[in-house]
Amino acid sequence: MNKVVVTGIGAITPLGPDFSSLMTAVFNAHSGVRALDTSWIHQLHSPLAAPILFPVEDHFTKLRRLMLDRVAQLGLIAVKEAIQQSGLNTLADEGLHGGVFWGTGMGGAHTLEQAYMDSFSHPESRPRPTTIVMFMTNSTTGQIGIEHKIKGPSTTYSSACSSSAVAIGEAFEAIRSGKINYAIAGGSEALLTLGVMKAWESLQTLARPDATRPETSCRPFAKDRSGFILGEGAASLILESEEHAKQRGATILCEIVGYGNTTDASHITQPDAGGQARAMRLALEQAQMTYQDVDYINAHGTGTQVGDLSETRAIHEVFNDYAKQVPVSATKALHGHLMGATGAVEMAIAIGSLMNKTIPGTAHLFNPDPECDLDYVSEGARTLAKLDVVMSNSFGFGGNNAVLVAKRYSK
Amino acid sequence: MNSLPVIQKMLVEEFGLTEDQVKPESQLDELGVDSLATVEFMFMLEDRFKLKMSGEPVPIKTVGDIAREVDAAMEKQGITLTDK
Repeated sequence: MNKVVVTGIGAITPLGPDFSSLMTAVFNAHSGVRALDTSWIHQLHSPLAAPILFPVEDHFTKLRRLMLDRVAQLGLIAVKEAIQQSGLNTLADEGLHGGVFWGTGMGGAHTLEQAYMDSFSHPESRPRPTTIVMFMTNSTTGQIGIEHKIKGPSTTYSSACSSSAVAIGEAFEAIRSGKINYAIAGGSEALLTLGVMKAWESLQTLARPDATRPETSCRPFAKDRSGFILGEGAASLILESEEHAKQRGATILCEIVGYGNTTDASHITQPDAGGQARAMRLALEQAQMTYQDVDYINAHGTGTQVGDLSETRAIHEVFNDYAKQVPVSATKALHGHLMGATGAVEMAIAIGSLMNKTIPGTAHLFNPDPECDLDYVSEGARTLAKLDVVMSNSFGFGGNNAVLVAKRYSK
Repeated sequence: MNSLPVIQKMLVEEFGLTEDQVKPESQLDELGVDSLATVEFMFMLEDRFKLKMSGEPVPIKTVGDIAREVDAAMEKQGITLTDK
């Protein structure tokens, strides 16, 4: 089996246009949550979202944008940064031994919604000829392959909130087994549209706006938590076999050592602590580690009553007497819930924590919940004397649980 | 090719091409205008000139080909540029 290393990270999130700005923001507890400034926002009970407010379209020519929904634009921006950092030249092997593993929950939501709106409001109108290629779920995956000339496997993963964690995990497995030498992995999501936001609102999982401090409305693990805030963005990792990275003299950022993937098989939205615990155990087993080896957990921590309690119980189940000692934080309080992209964003944050030897806190945890009794790092970012192994949890509607474990690289 | 100037202007505005790039003999694929983008552009032209293209597959390879196709459709449907 090959060792799998990370050589590049890219991100575009509500907290910044790149990976370093994301890390700075989570360390300083800057919130990207705000009232969405659109003409239709009055149709929603809450105007809050975590949008990307810096230029996205400017990265592409008008001609290129013809084929790119916002979800693909965000994905391509994150991938470009990751590739630049890694120095990976995909032309060296004509892209034959590389793969693209991408996650998204909804694909081109903006394009699809526009086509529906046009069709219903103007029956004589016709959708743009590029509608299909912009909204299909594998649109971003295909566009990444085209942009970077990668000709090995390209697969799109859609398992709601765990989509991009699964994408990273499956890329890890493909390199580990020797199927490919390198991969672009990650995920993107752009679903801040009226129809999608209303649908989420109906599901009653979105956070109640705090009247005086709206940016603090998402409060993972707090007693007064009321749900999450929808966000948009993308993150990408460049994964390589250790041998491939060394041969080309790449700087290795960390090693991915474990991936657990399980299904609750119990309910379409209700999480199951047992399924989550099994995913954590599988990831540790593959990493050949025990729970005491884990120095930090980036929790799924959406801020829903049910979800945070379930994750807390799952961590207790896996970490036993060590559960209250391992620091756990949920960064969704700041960057929002990026759905299909969230697993990749949070894995990037976990790796960034490893690199900086500092972990972000769980923001807005003003009122502790006695039932959520772990160390959630509520005081803010914390520098750890030992930070060598990190775990990132992602749990999706549909019952899929994906857990990734990374460790500090040593030769 | 009566419609050529308008088509050239639209190619510049809609696709971000330069005036130098959109000569009648310019090959569309060399400009990055692939078959999908060409169909997209034909839809824009139909909206702009309020005409209906034949829908039959026509070999459109150059900027001039587009203008010839539009001219033919306009003549057939009795539409002139001054109508717009």
